[in-house]
Amino acid sequence: MTSRARILTVALCGVLAAACSTGTQPSAPADGGQATGPSLRMWTFKQSHADALNKAAAQFKTDTGISVVVEAVTPDDVFVAKVQSSAQTGDLPDVLEVHAGGEDRELGASGLLADLSADVGAEWLNRLLPTTREAGLMSQAVIDRAAPDSPIKQVKPGTLFSVPFTAGAFGIVYANKAKLQAAGLSPDTPPKTWEEFVAALKATTGKEPEAGGLSLGLKVSQTGFNWVYQPLAHSYLGRDRFHALFAKGAAQGFASPDGVRTLELYGQLTPYWMPSSTTLNIDEADIAFAQGKSAFNVGGTFTLAFLAQNGMSPDKVLAFPIPPSAAGQQKEIAMAPLALTSLGVTATAENREAAIKWIDFATSAKGAGIIASASLDLPATDLGADAASLVGPDLAALQKYFTGTPESSYDAADTTFFPPDYDQVKPGDAMVRLSPLKERAPAQAGAELDEIFGAMWKSSE
Amino acid sequence: MTTQHVAGRVRPPGRWRAALTGYAFVFPAVALFAVMGVYTIGSGLALSFAKWNGFTPDWIWVGFENYLDLIYADPSLAPPLRAASWNTVQVMVLVPLLTVAISLPLAVVLNSVRRLRAVLRSVYFLPYVTSGIAVYYAWRYILEPDGAINLLLRSLGLGTLAQPQGFLGNPSTALPTLIVVLVWSSVPIATLLYLTGLQAIDPALFEAARIDGAAPRQVLRRITWPLLTPLTAGVVLLGVRDSLHGFQIFLIMTGGGPGGHTDVLGLQAYRLAFFKGLAATLGVSSALGWLLFAGALLLTLVNARLLRRVR
Repeated sequence: MTSRARILTVALCGVLAAACSTGTQPSAPADGGQATGPSLRMWTFKQSHADALNKAAAQFKTDTGISVVVEAVTPDDVFVAKVQSSAQTGDLPDVLEVHAGGEDRELGASGLLADLSADVGAEWLNRLLPTTREAGLMSQAVIDRAAPDSPIKQVKPGTLFSVPFTAGAFGIVYANKAKLQAAGLSPDTPPKTWEEFVAALKATTGKEPEAGGLSLGLKVSQTGFNWVYQPLAHSYLGRDRFHALFAKGAAQGFASPDGVRTLELYGQLTPYWMPSSTTLNIDEADIAFAQGKSAFNVGGTFTLAFLAQNGMSPDKVLAFPIPPSAAGQQKEIAMAPLALTSLGVTATAENREAAIKWIDFATSAKGAGIIASASLDLPATDLGADAASLVGPDLAALQKYFTGTPESSYDAADTTFFPPDYDQVKPGDAMVRLSPLKERAPAQAGAELDEIFGAMWKSSE
Repeated sequence: MTTQHVAGRVRPPGRWRAALTGYAFVFPAVALFAVMGVYTIGSGLALSFAKWNGFTPDWIWVGFENYLDLIYADPSLAPPLRAASWNTVQVMVLVPLLTVAISLPLAVVLNSVRRLRAVLRSVYFLPYVTSGIAVYYAWRYILEPDGAINLLLRSLGLGTLAQPQGFLGNPSTALPTLIVVLVWSSVPIATLLYLTGLQAIDPALFEAARIDGAAPRQVLRRITWPLLTPLTAGVVLLGVRDSLHGFQIFLIMTGGGPGGHTDVLGLQAYRLAFFKGLAATLGVSSALGWLLFAGALLLTLVNARLLRRVR
């Protein structure tokens, strides 16, 4: 063998050895130091959570010697694609943060997440806000409601695929205090009714026609339907008549007098949308509000942290839920906090025990406190009296809207009345055609929505 | 027995070595295509006959159900698909037509200028070089209510043409605007193709036409256009293909909005694959992809036939 051939052979062996060894190296610990205990990998789809989780991981390592490396994979579609491909190649991390009450169930039922029902006892669940506790649980009702071709149909009742991690509510309005004041409105008193809210919008747009309106990322069209219309219709009609709008065969559907009246209320927003709201996604709309391009912005409890990250101090913002109409059934609005994200252990996790310990820590008062203060996001863990000091007084103040009777509370996690294959983009587009586009009158929009939901019920048969 | 005795049946050693070397060079490309191409295509075709959410170990075979659901059977899938088809057809027709209508005269002018020819070619080629996601974002900023285009229109006293909701926020201007951006990004490569075609035409033909007193318009119509027909077919085909499969511009600039007015088939396929809450719709998405492929194939065959007739 010539010397050149020998060199080539050695180089080829080196390349092959390197290729074969890839992926078996333990992850570096979060603090960059030498790993002394087991090492875990975790993926999240939220960048702000990754930084906060890594902070908690540093404390967790001090307490237990277990290292955790948290990586953010964003945006959502990239996260899903990466989980899909990694599931095929057997390269999933040990822990995943996923959307609660949907994504966790599908992933678990598809065999990607482990059943935690034997590990998560009552004591653990009791730490969590009551309305979030069953988010990852596969009850018989959840299994019955699943689409016929969903893998959820094959799951054993009582299986638990995830533990709620963050919680919150949609349909929170943020108002720019300076713009309220400039329009002659009180910067500290939220509107009590929908009519007062519309009047406030009229005042702010009167003062600033281009930058006094309402911003919402209607490029993601379902935001208008989910975050504004549904809480509004729920408070106007009451729970049962609100559910009846979506029912199969809908005798009291969106085209009924009930439905049309709620659509008319929603249509009152039409003159006050921020210019080009339909071309902005959720983050862009929030940024526009933070930059002073609108006086009001609709989001969720999680929006406050994002506004702060974009330079809008929480003390410059007045936050309140979508107010009820004075003519409606509910005069006081309450939002039931729902689990927004959950933590699950993958079925292929090499160190399941360490992964469960990490989830236990992240959802304990100590771990959740570290994460909440770093991310300004509400944890699903009940922080009790420490909430204000950990998440700040403004976000903690929103928690006062979380208490209400079951009848008056709008629970966005309750999807029991939707068709099994519910696709929220379709009603979202219909709502955009009603407002701000004004292509449909409320009665026409009602008929269109009935048609959309009728088709969804039919296709789920 | 030597190789000379069976000449014609056995290759001499030198030719074997040459053949092996050739195969060795071809092998990596063939292997890569077998893995990345044949496997992917086969897998995608099989998936179009199944229901799968991307996670379960097994697929549920449903035969042609996905195709039928898309075409008519599923009342929740078929109507939006028909609306998206109409938008796609508009894009598919207008983008190639406008591309040809702009790039051919542009190429003729660029071919005739003597000074700054290289600079001008570079300038007109810039959109192609810079094309991509960043450019689509740049276009979004330009088309916003307080963007450059509205500003320009207002400063020229043409404020009535300005769009208060932005060009992408108004349902009547959103799709035409996207078509203009698509044409803007496809004109450079078409112009380049036409330039190469123009330079391949024998100058004696142009000279003879001029001597015979033909006006530039007649030269373009009677000489240049017929001789560039194969290139035009290629440009049209590229435009049709991009219009059928492309979805990035729609995803980034409008997301199919406002109110679904810019939804196209490529975007529908993307949504079915990744934005259905992990429902088992990857098979339907794949079926839609194959329907698009069938459409593209059909158009290619029609195009090839027309081309043969023109020749």
